[in-house]
Amino acid sequence: MALTLTCPVCGKRNGYEFRYGGEEKGPRPDEAGITPRSWCEYVHMNQCVAGIQKEWWCHKDGCGVWFTTHRDTTCNLEVDKPEAQS
Amino acid sequence: MFGRVKPLWGEKSSLKSNYDAVIIGGGLHGLAAAYFLARDHNMRNVAVLEKRFIGFGGSGRNTAIVRANQRTQENVPLYKEALALWPVLTKDLDYNLMFFNCGNLNLMHSEAAMNAARMNVATAQFHGVESHLIDAKQCKELVPALNILADITYPIFGAMYHPPGGILRHDAIVWGLAKGAAEHGVHVHQQTEVTGIGVENGKIVSVETDKGQIKTPRVLNAAGGYSAALSYQMLGIKLPISVLTIQAMVTQPLKPLLNHVVSSGAYHAYANQTLKGEIATGAHMDSWPNYTTQTTAYYIKHQAEALAEMLPCLRGVKFMRHWGGLADMTPDMAPIMDGNDSIEGYFMDCGWGYFGFKSCAASGKYMAQFMASGNCPNMLKPFSLRRFEQHRLMGETAAVVNYTPDN
Repeated sequence: MALTLTCPVCGKRNGYEFRYGGEEKGPRPDEAGITPRSWCEYVHMNQCVAGIQKEWWCHKDGCGVWFTTHRDTTCNLEVDKPEAQS
Repeated sequence: MFGRVKPLWGEKSSLKSNYDAVIIGGGLHGLAAAYFLARDHNMRNVAVLEKRFIGFGGSGRNTAIVRANQRTQENVPLYKEALALWPVLTKDLDYNLMFFNCGNLNLMHSEAAMNAARMNVATAQFHGVESHLIDAKQCKELVPALNILADITYPIFGAMYHPPGGILRHDAIVWGLAKGAAEHGVHVHQQTEVTGIGVENGKIVSVETDKGQIKTPRVLNAAGGYSAALSYQMLGIKLPISVLTIQAMVTQPLKPLLNHVVSSGAYHAYANQTLKGEIATGAHMDSWPNYTTQTTAYYIKHQAEALAEMLPCLRGVKFMRHWGGLADMTPDMAPIMDGNDSIEGYFMDCGWGYFGFKSCAASGKYMAQFMASGNCPNMLKPFSLRRFEQHRLMGETAAVVNYTPDN
Protein backbone atom coordinates (compact mmCIF):
# COMPACT_ATOMS: atom_id res chain seq x y z
CA MET A 1 0.00 0.00 0.00
CA ALA A 2 1.34 3.33 -1.01
CA LEU A 3 -0.22 5.32 1.81
CA THR A 4 -1.86 4.64 5.17
CA LEU A 5 -3.27 7.48 7.26
CA THR A 6 -4.50 7.62 10.83
CA CYS A 7 -7.96 9.15 11.06
CA PRO A 8 -8.59 10.63 14.54
CA VAL A 9 -12.01 8.94 14.55
CA CYS A 10 -11.53 5.68 12.61
CA GLY A 11 -7.84 4.91 13.21
CA LYS A 12 -5.42 3.59 10.59
CA ARG A 13 -7.08 3.37 7.17
CA ASN A 14 -6.14 2.91 3.51
CA GLY A 15 -4.90 6.21 2.06
CA TYR A 16 -7.27 6.02 -0.91
CA GLU A 17 -10.20 6.68 1.49
CA PHE A 18 -8.86 10.19 2.10
CA ARG A 19 -8.78 13.44 0.18
CA TYR A 20 -5.69 15.60 0.46
CA GLY A 21 -6.54 19.11 1.65
CA GLY A 22 -3.29 20.99 1.12
CA GLU A 23 -0.35 22.13 3.19
CA GLU A 24 -1.10 23.66 6.59
CA LYS A 25 -0.82 27.41 6.00
CA GLY A 26 -2.18 28.82 9.25
CA PRO A 27 -5.51 30.62 9.66
CA ARG A 28 -7.35 32.15 6.72
CA PRO A 29 -6.15 35.74 6.30
CA ASP A 30 -8.32 38.49 7.73
CA GLU A 31 -10.42 40.13 5.03
CA ALA A 32 -9.67 43.61 6.31
CA GLY A 33 -6.64 44.92 4.45
CA ILE A 34 -6.16 41.81 2.35
CA THR A 35 -4.17 42.23 -0.88
CA PRO A 36 -4.28 40.07 -4.02
CA ARG A 37 -0.76 38.94 -3.15
CA SER A 38 -1.51 37.81 0.38
CA TRP A 39 -4.66 36.04 -0.78
CA CYS A 40 -2.72 34.29 -3.57
CA GLU A 41 -0.06 33.32 -1.01
CA TYR A 42 -2.73 31.65 1.10
CA VAL A 43 -4.66 30.01 -1.72
CA HIS A 44 -2.02 28.88 -4.22
CA MET A 45 1.51 29.02 -2.89
CA ASN A 46 3.16 25.90 -1.50
CA GLN A 47 6.45 25.09 0.18
CA CYS A 48 6.62 21.68 -1.54
CA VAL A 49 8.79 20.26 1.22
CA ALA A 50 10.73 17.14 0.29
CA GLY A 51 10.60 15.81 3.86
CA ILE A 52 8.18 16.19 6.75
CA GLN A 53 5.25 18.56 6.27
CA LYS A 54 2.10 19.35 8.21
CA GLU A 55 -0.93 18.91 6.01
CA TRP A 56 -4.74 18.64 5.90
CA TRP A 57 -6.75 15.55 5.03
CA CYS A 58 -10.45 14.71 4.89
CA HIS A 59 -11.68 11.17 5.55
CA LYS A 60 -13.85 11.44 2.44
CA ASP A 61 -14.94 7.80 2.13
CA GLY A 62 -15.26 7.35 5.88
CA CYS A 63 -16.43 9.52 8.74
CA GLY A 64 -15.87 12.80 6.85
CA VAL A 65 -13.69 14.44 9.49
CA TRP A 66 -11.01 17.01 8.59
CA PHE A 67 -7.69 16.69 10.43
CA THR A 68 -4.00 17.57 10.18
CA THR A 69 -1.14 15.14 10.20
CA HIS A 70 2.62 15.14 9.65
CA ARG A 71 3.87 13.08 6.74
CA ASP A 72 7.27 12.54 5.17
CA THR A 73 6.70 13.34 1.49
CA THR A 74 9.77 11.35 0.43
CA CYS A 75 8.39 8.03 1.72
CA ASN A 76 4.64 8.62 2.32
CA LEU A 77 4.91 7.66 6.01
CA GLU A 78 3.14 9.46 8.81
CA VAL A 79 5.43 10.82 11.51
CA ASP A 80 4.45 10.45 15.16
CA LYS A 81 6.70 13.07 16.66
CA PRO A 82 6.10 16.00 14.39
CA GLU A 83 8.80 18.33 15.65
CA ALA A 84 11.64 17.16 13.38
CA GLN A 85 11.35 20.07 10.93
CA SER A 86 8.66 22.06 9.25
CA MET B 1 39.18 -0.78 -30.55
CA PHE B 2 38.01 -1.34 -26.99
CA GLY B 3 39.36 1.96 -25.71
CA ARG B 4 37.63 4.17 -23.21
CA VAL B 5 34.28 5.39 -24.47
CA LYS B 6 34.07 9.15 -24.70
CA PRO B 7 30.65 10.57 -23.78
CA LEU B 8 28.73 12.32 -26.53
CA TRP B 9 28.81 15.54 -24.56
CA GLY B 10 32.61 15.64 -24.50
CA GLU B 11 35.24 14.88 -21.92
CA LYS B 12 34.38 15.74 -18.34
CA SER B 13 35.23 19.39 -17.88
CA SER B 14 36.27 20.76 -14.51
CA LEU B 15 33.95 23.18 -12.78
CA LYS B 16 35.06 26.75 -13.42
CA SER B 17 34.63 29.47 -10.80
CA ASN B 18 32.89 31.80 -13.26
CA TYR B 19 30.07 31.29 -15.74
CA ASP B 20 27.85 33.75 -17.62
CA ALA B 21 24.87 31.56 -16.83
CA VAL B 22 24.27 28.56 -14.59
CA ILE B 23 21.40 26.22 -15.35
CA ILE B 24 20.14 24.04 -12.51
CA GLY B 25 18.86 20.73 -13.82
CA GLY B 26 20.29 18.56 -16.60
CA GLY B 27 16.92 17.65 -18.02
CA LEU B 28 15.40 18.55 -21.35
CA HIS B 29 14.46 22.12 -20.42
CA GLY B 30 17.85 22.93 -18.93
CA LEU B 31 19.80 21.35 -21.78
CA ALA B 32 17.59 22.96 -24.43
CA ALA B 33 18.05 26.40 -22.83
CA ALA B 34 21.83 25.84 -22.71
CA TYR B 35 21.89 24.68 -26.32
CA PHE B 36 19.98 27.71 -27.62
CA LEU B 37 21.95 30.14 -25.42
CA ALA B 38 25.20 28.88 -26.95
CA ARG B 39 23.95 28.43 -30.51
CA ASP B 40 21.74 31.47 -31.05
CA HIS B 41 22.94 34.02 -28.50
CA ASN B 42 26.67 33.42 -28.46
CA MET B 43 26.60 32.81 -24.73
CA ARG B 44 28.99 29.86 -24.53
CA ASN B 45 30.33 30.23 -21.01
CA VAL B 46 27.40 28.29 -19.58
CA ALA B 47 27.21 25.45 -17.07
CA VAL B 48 24.43 22.89 -16.70
CA LEU B 49 24.48 21.44 -13.17
CA GLU B 50 22.86 18.06 -12.66
CA LYS B 51 22.68 16.37 -9.26
CA ARG B 52 22.52 12.83 -10.69
CA PHE B 53 22.92 12.20 -14.41
CA ILE B 54 21.34 13.95 -17.37
CA GLY B 55 17.85 12.71 -18.10
CA PHE B 56 17.45 11.10 -14.66
CA GLY B 57 14.18 12.86 -13.91
CA GLY B 58 11.06 13.47 -15.95
CA SER B 59 13.09 13.71 -19.17
CA GLY B 60 13.75 9.99 -19.11
CA ARG B 61 10.50 8.91 -17.45
CA ASN B 62 7.80 10.38 -19.64
CA THR B 63 6.04 8.38 -22.36
CA ALA B 64 7.54 10.51 -25.13
CA ILE B 65 4.27 11.79 -26.62
CA VAL B 66 4.31 15.12 -28.46
CA ARG B 67 1.24 17.11 -29.51
CA ALA B 68 -0.08 20.65 -29.87
CA ASN B 69 -3.77 20.21 -29.08
CA GLN B 70 -3.84 22.22 -25.87
CA ARG B 71 -6.89 24.24 -24.87
CA THR B 72 -5.91 27.90 -24.65
CA GLN B 73 -4.64 30.40 -27.17
CA GLU B 74 -1.56 31.17 -25.06
CA ASN B 75 -0.45 27.54 -24.94
CA VAL B 76 -1.16 26.26 -28.45
CA PRO B 77 1.44 28.41 -30.30
CA LEU B 78 4.21 27.33 -27.92
CA TYR B 79 3.55 23.62 -28.42
CA LYS B 80 3.02 24.14 -32.14
CA GLU B 81 6.49 25.60 -32.39
CA ALA B 82 7.96 22.71 -30.39
CA LEU B 83 6.31 20.27 -32.78
CA ALA B 84 7.85 22.04 -35.75
CA LEU B 85 11.29 21.97 -34.10
CA TRP B 86 11.75 18.16 -33.92
CA PRO B 87 12.70 17.61 -37.56
CA VAL B 88 14.85 20.77 -37.47
CA LEU B 89 16.66 19.66 -34.31
CA THR B 90 17.23 16.19 -35.73
CA LYS B 91 19.25 17.85 -38.50
CA ASP B 92 20.92 20.55 -36.40
CA LEU B 93 21.99 18.15 -33.67
CA ASP B 94 22.94 15.51 -36.24
CA TYR B 95 21.27 12.98 -34.00
CA ASN B 96 18.33 10.71 -34.74
CA LEU B 97 15.50 11.72 -32.39
CA MET B 98 13.31 8.97 -33.87
CA PHE B 99 10.29 11.24 -34.38
CA PHE B 100 7.34 9.03 -35.35
CA ASN B 101 4.60 11.33 -36.64
CA CYS B 102 1.73 8.94 -35.90
CA GLY B 103 -0.92 11.42 -34.77
CA ASN B 104 -2.97 11.54 -31.57
CA LEU B 105 -6.50 10.41 -30.90
CA ASN B 106 -8.20 11.88 -27.80
CA LEU B 107 -11.24 9.73 -27.14
CA MET B 108 -14.48 11.35 -25.98
CA HIS B 109 -17.03 9.39 -23.98
CA SER B 110 -20.03 11.71 -23.70
CA GLU B 111 -21.89 14.41 -25.63
CA ALA B 112 -20.49 16.99 -23.21
CA ALA B 113 -16.96 15.80 -24.01
CA MET B 114 -17.74 16.00 -27.75
CA ASN B 115 -18.82 19.62 -27.30
CA ALA B 116 -15.64 20.40 -25.38
CA ALA B 117 -13.69 18.79 -28.22
CA ARG B 118 -15.50 21.02 -30.76
CA MET B 119 -14.24 24.08 -28.91
CA ASN B 120 -10.76 22.60 -28.72
CA VAL B 121 -10.71 21.83 -32.44
CA ALA B 122 -11.85 25.40 -33.21
CA THR B 123 -8.95 26.77 -31.14
CA ALA B 124 -6.50 24.51 -32.94
CA GLN B 125 -7.78 25.48 -36.37
CA PHE B 126 -7.64 29.18 -35.46
CA HIS B 127 -3.93 28.71 -34.71
CA GLY B 128 -3.27 26.68 -37.84
CA VAL B 129 -2.87 23.39 -36.03
CA GLU B 130 -4.47 20.44 -37.77
CA SER B 131 -7.14 18.86 -35.59
CA HIS B 132 -10.42 17.19 -36.50
CA LEU B 133 -13.48 15.93 -34.70
CA ILE B 134 -14.32 12.40 -35.77
CA ASP B 135 -17.06 9.96 -34.78
CA ALA B 136 -16.72 6.50 -33.27
CA LYS B 137 -16.82 4.74 -36.64
CA GLN B 138 -13.97 6.87 -37.96
CA CYS B 139 -12.02 6.05 -34.77
CA LYS B 140 -12.45 2.38 -35.55
CA GLU B 141 -11.22 2.94 -39.11
CA LEU B 142 -8.08 4.66 -37.81
CA VAL B 143 -7.45 2.18 -34.99
CA PRO B 144 -9.11 -1.17 -35.78
CA ALA B 145 -8.09 -2.54 -32.37
CA LEU B 146 -10.31 0.01 -30.61
CA ASN B 147 -13.51 -1.20 -28.93
CA ILE B 148 -16.41 1.04 -29.99
CA LEU B 149 -19.19 -1.20 -28.66
CA ALA B 150 -21.73 0.33 -26.29
CA ASP B 151 -21.41 -2.31 -23.57
CA ILE B 152 -18.23 -1.01 -21.94
CA THR B 153 -17.93 1.29 -18.93
CA TYR B 154 -17.32 4.41 -21.04
CA PRO B 155 -18.51 3.86 -24.64
CA ILE B 156 -16.65 5.92 -27.26
CA PHE B 157 -18.67 8.77 -28.79
CA GLY B 158 -15.89 10.08 -30.99
CA ALA B 159 -12.46 11.61 -30.79
CA MET B 160 -10.32 14.63 -31.42
CA TYR B 161 -7.84 13.53 -34.07
CA HIS B 162 -4.59 15.48 -34.18
CA PRO B 163 -2.37 14.23 -37.04
CA PRO B 164 0.74 16.44 -36.43
CA GLY B 165 1.49 14.78 -33.07
CA GLY B 166 3.39 11.60 -32.40
CA ILE B 167 6.18 10.14 -30.34
CA LEU B 168 9.92 10.59 -30.07
CA ARG B 169 12.66 8.78 -28.27
CA HIS B 170 13.09 10.80 -25.07
CA ASP B 171 16.64 9.62 -24.25
CA ALA B 172 17.77 10.58 -27.74
CA ILE B 173 16.66 14.17 -27.17
CA VAL B 174 18.49 14.34 -23.84
CA TRP B 175 21.68 13.00 -25.39
CA GLY B 176 21.29 14.99 -28.60
CA LEU B 177 20.79 18.30 -26.78
CA ALA B 178 23.72 17.57 -24.42
CA LYS B 179 25.90 16.78 -27.42
CA GLY B 180 24.77 19.90 -29.27
CA ALA B 181 25.26 22.12 -26.22
CA ALA B 182 28.73 20.68 -25.53
CA GLU B 183 29.77 21.21 -29.16
CA HIS B 184 28.97 24.90 -28.69
CA GLY B 185 31.10 25.07 -25.54
CA VAL B 186 28.56 24.47 -22.76
CA HIS B 187 29.85 22.55 -19.72
CA VAL B 188 27.55 19.74 -18.58
CA HIS B 189 28.44 18.87 -14.95
CA GLN B 190 26.82 15.69 -13.74
CA GLN B 191 26.87 14.58 -10.10
CA THR B 192 27.06 18.22 -9.08
CA GLU B 193 24.49 19.27 -6.54
CA VAL B 194 23.42 22.86 -6.03
CA THR B 195 23.39 23.66 -2.31
CA GLY B 196 22.60 27.37 -2.38
CA ILE B 197 22.06 30.46 -4.48
CA GLY B 198 23.79 33.70 -3.56
CA VAL B 199 21.82 36.96 -3.84
CA GLU B 200 23.20 40.41 -3.11
CA ASN B 201 21.22 43.66 -3.40
CA GLY B 202 18.42 41.87 -5.23
CA LYS B 203 20.77 40.38 -7.82
CA ILE B 204 22.04 36.86 -8.40
CA VAL B 205 25.77 36.71 -7.68
CA SER B 206 26.70 33.08 -7.19
CA VAL B 207 25.67 29.45 -6.99
CA GLU B 208 26.98 27.16 -4.25
CA THR B 209 27.57 23.54 -5.20
CA ASP B 210 29.04 20.51 -3.46
CA LYS B 211 32.07 20.99 -5.72
CA GLY B 212 32.62 24.66 -4.92
CA GLN B 213 31.28 28.13 -5.55
CA ILE B 214 30.46 29.55 -8.99
CA LYS B 215 30.20 33.27 -9.62
CA THR B 216 27.44 34.04 -12.08
CA PRO B 217 24.96 36.82 -12.86
CA ARG B 218 22.24 34.47 -14.16
CA VAL B 219 20.59 31.32 -12.85
CA LEU B 220 17.87 29.27 -14.49
CA ASN B 221 15.82 27.00 -12.27
CA ALA B 222 14.96 24.07 -14.54
CA ALA B 223 14.96 21.43 -11.84
CA GLY B 224 11.65 19.86 -12.89
CA GLY B 225 9.94 18.08 -9.99
CA TYR B 226 12.38 19.62 -7.53
CA SER B 227 12.11 23.20 -8.81
CA ALA B 228 9.48 24.34 -6.31
CA ALA B 229 11.28 22.91 -3.27
CA LEU B 230 14.55 24.40 -4.53
CA SER B 231 12.95 27.79 -5.11
CA TYR B 232 11.53 27.91 -1.57
CA GLN B 233 14.56 26.48 0.23
CA MET B 234 17.21 28.53 -1.53
CA LEU B 235 15.42 31.80 -2.29
CA GLY B 236 12.30 31.76 -0.12
CA ILE B 237 10.10 32.06 -3.23
CA LYS B 238 6.99 29.91 -2.91
CA LEU B 239 5.47 28.57 -6.10
CA PRO B 240 1.87 27.49 -6.78
CA ILE B 241 3.01 23.93 -7.39
CA SER B 242 2.10 20.50 -6.07
CA VAL B 243 4.55 17.70 -6.77
CA LEU B 244 2.81 14.43 -7.56
CA THR B 245 4.12 11.01 -8.51
CA ILE B 246 2.90 9.88 -11.93
CA GLN B 247 3.29 6.32 -13.18
CA ALA B 248 3.71 4.64 -16.54
CA MET B 249 4.41 1.15 -17.79
CA VAL B 250 5.17 -0.85 -20.93
CA THR B 251 3.92 -4.23 -22.09
CA GLN B 252 5.94 -6.94 -23.77
CA PRO B 253 6.79 -6.10 -27.42
CA LEU B 254 3.99 -6.93 -29.87
CA LYS B 255 3.50 -6.85 -33.62
CA PRO B 256 2.32 -3.42 -34.86
CA LEU B 257 -1.33 -2.91 -33.89
CA LEU B 258 -1.58 0.66 -32.65
CA ASN B 259 -0.38 3.26 -35.12
CA HIS B 260 -1.70 6.30 -33.22
CA VAL B 261 -1.41 7.64 -29.71
CA VAL B 262 -4.76 6.89 -28.07
CA SER B 263 -5.82 8.68 -24.90
CA SER B 264 -8.95 8.79 -22.82
CA GLY B 265 -9.82 11.16 -19.99
CA ALA B 266 -12.70 9.03 -18.74
CA TYR B 267 -10.63 5.86 -18.57
CA HIS B 268 -7.75 7.92 -17.23
CA ALA B 269 -5.34 6.16 -19.55
CA TYR B 270 -3.37 6.64 -22.71
CA ALA B 271 -1.46 4.18 -24.85
CA ASN B 272 0.88 4.19 -27.81
CA GLN B 273 3.03 1.56 -29.42
CA THR B 274 6.74 2.33 -29.42
CA LEU B 275 8.93 1.63 -32.43
CA LYS B 276 10.17 -1.41 -30.52
CA GLY B 277 6.62 -2.79 -30.32
CA GLU B 278 5.90 -2.25 -26.63
CA ILE B 279 2.61 -0.61 -25.67
CA ALA B 280 3.66 2.35 -23.54
CA THR B 281 0.80 3.37 -21.32
CA GLY B 282 0.19 5.58 -18.34
CA ALA B 283 -1.68 8.48 -16.76
CA HIS B 284 -2.19 7.56 -13.12
CA MET B 285 -1.18 10.31 -10.75
CA ASP B 286 -1.18 10.10 -6.98
CA SER B 287 -3.77 12.51 -5.63
CA TRP B 288 -1.53 13.76 -2.83
CA PRO B 289 1.90 15.43 -3.12
CA ASN B 290 4.92 13.18 -2.66
CA TYR B 291 8.44 12.69 -3.95
CA THR B 292 8.46 8.88 -3.77
CA THR B 293 8.24 7.97 -7.50
CA GLN B 294 6.76 4.79 -6.06
CA THR B 295 4.78 2.42 -8.29
CA THR B 296 1.60 0.77 -7.03
CA ALA B 297 -0.35 -2.46 -7.59
CA TYR B 298 -3.49 -0.29 -7.41
CA TYR B 299 -2.46 1.36 -10.65
CA ILE B 300 -1.45 -1.84 -12.50
CA LYS B 301 -4.98 -3.10 -11.86
CA HIS B 302 -6.54 0.15 -13.02
CA GLN B 303 -4.48 0.20 -16.19
CA ALA B 304 -5.20 -3.44 -17.00
CA GLU B 305 -8.94 -2.80 -16.60
CA ALA B 306 -8.88 0.32 -18.77
CA LEU B 307 -6.80 -1.25 -21.56
CA ALA B 308 -8.84 -4.46 -21.55
CA GLU B 309 -11.97 -2.40 -22.30
CA MET B 310 -10.51 0.14 -24.73
CA LEU B 311 -8.23 -2.25 -26.62
CA PRO B 312 -9.56 -5.76 -25.93
CA CYS B 313 -6.83 -7.43 -28.01
CA LEU B 314 -4.42 -6.54 -25.19
CA ARG B 315 -6.16 -8.87 -22.72
CA GLY B 316 -3.57 -11.34 -21.43
CA VAL B 317 -0.60 -9.26 -22.59
CA LYS B 318 2.07 -8.92 -19.90
CA PHE B 319 3.41 -5.70 -18.45
CA MET B 320 7.22 -5.73 -18.59
CA ARG B 321 8.32 -2.60 -16.77
CA HIS B 322 6.61 -0.07 -14.54
CA TRP B 323 8.05 3.18 -13.22
CA GLY B 324 7.18 6.49 -11.62
CA GLY B 325 8.31 10.06 -12.03
CA LEU B 326 7.47 13.48 -10.63
CA ALA B 327 5.02 15.97 -12.08
CA ASP B 328 5.08 19.54 -10.76
CA MET B 329 1.47 20.57 -11.24
CA THR B 330 0.18 24.15 -11.16
CA PRO B 331 -3.48 24.97 -10.41
CA ASP B 332 -4.16 25.98 -14.04
CA MET B 333 -2.10 23.19 -15.63
CA ALA B 334 0.10 25.69 -17.45
CA PRO B 335 3.81 26.25 -16.75
CA ILE B 336 5.58 29.12 -15.02
CA MET B 337 8.22 30.78 -17.19
CA ASP B 338 9.42 33.96 -15.61
CA GLY B 339 12.55 35.86 -14.72
CA ASN B 340 14.11 39.10 -13.48
CA ASP B 341 11.14 39.58 -11.19
CA SER B 342 11.99 40.38 -7.56
CA ILE B 343 15.50 38.91 -8.04
CA GLU B 344 17.48 40.18 -11.01
CA GLY B 345 19.12 37.35 -12.92
CA TYR B 346 16.90 34.61 -11.50
CA PHE B 347 14.92 32.80 -14.16
CA MET B 348 12.51 29.92 -13.76
CA ASP B 349 11.13 27.37 -16.16
CA CYS B 350 9.00 25.07 -14.05
CA GLY B 351 5.50 23.88 -13.19
CA TRP B 352 5.41 21.79 -16.36
CA GLY B 353 3.43 18.95 -14.83
CA TYR B 354 3.27 16.12 -17.31
CA PHE B 355 3.69 18.22 -20.47
CA GLY B 356 7.31 19.29 -20.08
CA PHE B 357 8.48 16.79 -22.65
CA LYS B 358 6.41 18.01 -25.58
CA SER B 359 7.35 21.63 -24.96
CA CYS B 360 11.07 21.45 -24.17
CA ALA B 361 12.43 22.61 -27.53
CA ALA B 362 10.24 25.73 -27.70
CA SER B 363 10.58 26.69 -24.05
CA GLY B 364 14.38 26.24 -24.24
CA LYS B 365 14.50 28.50 -27.27
CA TYR B 366 12.46 31.30 -25.66
CA MET B 367 14.03 31.00 -22.21
CA ALA B 368 17.45 31.36 -23.89
CA GLN B 369 16.19 34.51 -25.63
CA PHE B 370 14.88 35.81 -22.29
CA MET B 371 18.13 35.09 -20.44
CA ALA B 372 20.37 36.53 -23.13
CA SER B 373 18.43 39.78 -23.66
CA GLY B 374 16.88 40.23 -20.23
CA ASN B 375 13.55 41.02 -21.93
CA CYS B 376 10.68 38.58 -21.74
CA PRO B 377 9.68 37.42 -25.26
CA ASN B 378 5.99 37.96 -26.05
CA MET B 379 5.48 34.21 -26.31
CA LEU B 380 6.35 33.77 -22.61
CA LYS B 381 4.57 36.83 -21.17
CA PRO B 382 1.30 35.02 -20.33
CA PHE B 383 3.22 32.43 -18.27
CA SER B 384 4.45 34.79 -15.53
CA LEU B 385 4.24 33.83 -11.88
CA ARG B 386 2.21 36.96 -11.17
CA ARG B 387 -0.77 35.65 -13.13
CA PHE B 388 -1.83 33.78 -9.98
CA GLU B 389 -2.13 36.91 -7.83
CA GLN B 390 -3.80 38.73 -10.74
CA HIS B 391 -6.40 35.96 -10.90
CA ARG B 392 -5.49 35.37 -14.55
CA LEU B 393 -5.24 31.60 -14.40
CA MET B 394 -5.21 29.90 -17.77
CA GLY B 395 -8.01 27.65 -18.92
CA GLU B 396 -5.91 24.56 -19.57
CA THR B 397 -7.81 22.58 -16.94
CA ALA B 398 -10.70 22.57 -19.42
CA ALA B 399 -8.66 20.49 -21.86
CA VAL B 400 -8.76 17.17 -20.02
CA VAL B 401 -9.64 15.69 -16.68
CA ASN B 402 -7.65 17.43 -14.00
CA TYR B 403 -5.38 15.82 -11.52
CA THR B 404 -4.06 18.36 -9.06
CA PRO B 405 -4.98 18.27 -5.39
CA ASP B 406 -5.93 21.93 -5.79
CA ASN B 407 -9.01 21.32 -7.84
